[in-house]
Formats: sequence, C-alpha cells, structure tokens
Amino acid sequence: MANSLITLQEIVEQTTDLPSIPAAAVRVIQETDSALSTAAHIAEVLAQDQSLTIRILRLANSAYFGLSRRVDDLTEAVVVLGMRNVRNLAMVACSYPWMVRPLKGYALGPRQLWSHSFSIAVGAQLVAKQARIPNDDVAFTAGLLADVGKSALSVWLEDKLAALIVYATREGMTFDEAERKVLGYDHAQVGEYLAAQWNFPTSITQVIRWHHQPSSLETPDPIVDCVHVGDYLTMIMGYGLGGDGLQYGFDTTTLERLQLTTDHLDQITDEFVTAHDRYELMFEELQVA
Amino acid sequence: MAITTASSTQFLVGMSEIHVAKGPAIFTCLGLGSCIGLAALDVTTDVAGMIHIMLPEAFPDKPVDKLGKFADTGIKEWLRLLERAGAQTSRMKIAYAGGAQVFKFGANADSRLDVGARNATAVAEHLKRLGLRALAIDVGGSSGRTVTLDTVTGLMRVRTVAAGEKELVNLRK
Repeated sequence: MANSLITLQEIVEQTTDLPSIPAAAVRVIQETDSALSTAAHIAEVLAQDQSLTIRILRLANSAYFGLSRRVDDLTEAVVVLGMRNVRNLAMVACSYPWMVRPLKGYALGPRQLWSHSFSIAVGAQLVAKQARIPNDDVAFTAGLLADVGKSALSVWLEDKLAALIVYATREGMTFDEAERKVLGYDHAQVGEYLAAQWNFPTSITQVIRWHHQPSSLETPDPIVDCVHVGDYLTMIMGYGLGGDGLQYGFDTTTLERLQLTTDHLDQITDEFVTAHDRYELMFEELQVA
Repeated sequence: MAITTASSTQFLVGMSEIHVAKGPAIFTCLGLGSCIGLAALDVTTDVAGMIHIMLPEAFPDKPVDKLGKFADTGIKEWLRLLERAGAQTSRMKIAYAGGAQVFKFGANADSRLDVGARNATAVAEHLKRLGLRALAIDVGGSSGRTVTLDTVTGLMRVRTVAAGEKELVNLRK
C-alpha cells in the first residue's frame, strides 16, 4: 500500500505554507548543547530579530511569570527568568504563528496543533523534572516540535484521513504505522527531515524522529523517553486531538528507563493538567502577540 | 464557562468542572481522551448537569483541589449539585461517554496504565453504589470524543472524527 514514488524531499518541496523558524531562533537552538553559550550571548543573538524580541518580552511579562516589575530588554529577561526559560520562550514565540493554523489532513482545527504540541512540551518537561533528567528545557523544546512533521504531511492526508483511520483500526496498526504503510513515511520522519533542513542539532532531530518509537534507538535517549511520555499524557488528557486521536502506542519501557512507576504517572497526570492550566496565562499573551 | 443565548445557556465543561442548570441548556465536554463526560437530566424539574471526570480516584496523600477531577469525589458532588437545583435521583436519566485509551501498550504493561478503562469502571461502580443506572454508555476505543447534551431536545450526542456525530441517547424519553 506504500507509495514508494514519493520521497521525503518531494513531500516537503511540494508542500506550500511550510512552517519556518527565524534564523535567530535556529542559532539559539543550535547552541542548546554548547557549554560556551552564555546568557549574554543568547540575548545578543535573539535581539537581532526585533519582531521575535517583542514577542519574547510580551511572554516574559505575561501573568504566568508574575514578575514584580516589567522587563524591557532581553538581557534583563535572561537575568530575571534564566537563559533556559528565555530560550523556550523564543521557541514558543516563533512556533505559535504557524502552529495555530488548521491542518485539514489530521482534522485539526485552528489552534489544535498548537494546543497538542504545547501540551507535549509541558508534559515532557514535567516528566524530565520528575525523573531528574538534566536539561529538562530541552525536553520542552523537543516536545514542542515533536509533531512538526504533521504540518507538512497534512496536505497529503487530506483525502485519505477517514480511510486511514479505518485501515489502521482494521489492521491493528498505530496511526504512524499506517502513515508509513500508505505514504511511505510517518510524520516523525517528515518532521526530522524538516528540522534537519533548519539545521537543528541532533539532540532535537532525534527526538522528533523517534518520539513514537523510543525503543528503536540503538542507545536510548532520556529526552526521547520524556517526550514519548509527554505525548501519552497529552493524548489521554485530550489536548488538541485530531483524527489520529489516541491511535498510537505507549512504550512502557520508557517508564522503566526513567525509573517512574504507574503510581507516579497518575500523580504526574494531575500535575501535568495543573501546569497546563497555569500556562493558560501565557496563552492570553500569545493571542494578542 | 457559560454563555447565555436567547434560547439556551451553553456550558463548556472543562476538565474537572461540574455544571448544573435549570431550564434550557447545552452542555459540552470538548475533546475527551481518557476522561469521561457524565450527564443527567430530570425532565420533571428541567434540571440537568454534566461533569468532566479526569481520574478514577483521589490521591490518599494529597488534598483534593477540585472535587470534579476524580470519579469518587466528583460523582457525589455532581449529584449534590443536581439535587440542590431540584433534581431527584429517582427521576434522573443518565448517560456517559469517553474513556478512550492509546491504541497499543507494550507487552506485560500494567493494567493501571489504561486510565480510560479505569475511569469507565470507576464511573460505573460509583453510579451503582448510589443506586443509579446509565441509560447509554459510549466508552473505550482510541478516538477523541466531543459530548453534548441539549436539555431542550434531551439529545446526548457524541462526535468523533472517524464516525462523525451520532445520537447516543435521548434523555427525555
């Protein structure tokens, strides 16, 4: 059933309205793993993009952070909120404009991909904190971008979604398995391709690629595991569900690797929803941004 | 969240919320995953209510911040609010939907991971314990559901992307 005539490159090249990430944000992400990256340098890089700077400052001053006084420049924001928070705000600010678009191929209405992606980010970071994984902010960024491939694959699914759901259910397949069978690629592969085109580091592209198949990696990656669990939490709590719904697998060995138990997971689910509700305060700023 | 129009008050029943109304109303639980949307209507007094349940039971070692979050604390509170508004349990028509789950778990997965099934079981048990019976139930599967109750027509509807909108039950009949 796979259409082997289409290549990943063709899928991406023939998709109009592809998402884009500003150069300044890409540079900040590229430096995520760099020990040399300093708060001042991050602020300097982001400040080169005026529109992005305005949006980041608007988020930094949102009710979510509850700062006692207004921050008016990026250097100050980095000092008050920390470099990792500002880097995450940069990703939020530059993903939001294209993530709010509806994706007909996945039956996602306006803001639904955003709601889903942001929830994965919040869930993945929370799981990373619970499992004491260092750099939990990377789990946030990677979680936010995990489903970026859907924005490119959507148009290819527009006339196939209903049939694909029926096919996947009948054959006992997850939705990503069905995507691979029917289109030759799943949204995780397309997402990895897109992120590589943006020159994102492997630490991020690897998460996008394997977030539905975390045990297929030769060497397990704790951030991939955190995003997999964050995605699971997002699906069961129903944030931004499209036609693919909950038609995915949950690899429970991720919990073992993260040393989390099922009891932990109920508590994490509760904390996840609470954290998500708090973030609504930031959403208010995004809607006017 | 409630919006009042000329004909009905519309309630968007968010996670862990309970809404009860007397008179024309439309209740909606949007995009249920493993959560359950449970609704009741007393046609005699025209009182109805919906609860959006998130987890089966409250944590023994943690205070309950929202009663509607858990089946054990929420169903009691939902019933108390319905009765306070004038509904009588003997006349109430009840239905619920939701409780979906991810499609596949790994081999030997702990059954506690199936939050959707645990929610559905908890709702059934708590209703039974209170002497209540649901007229219609639509739980399980791997699709997100949107559940709506229109108290004017009595229709409880369930919408999924794959199956579209279908009538689950008419609580006025």
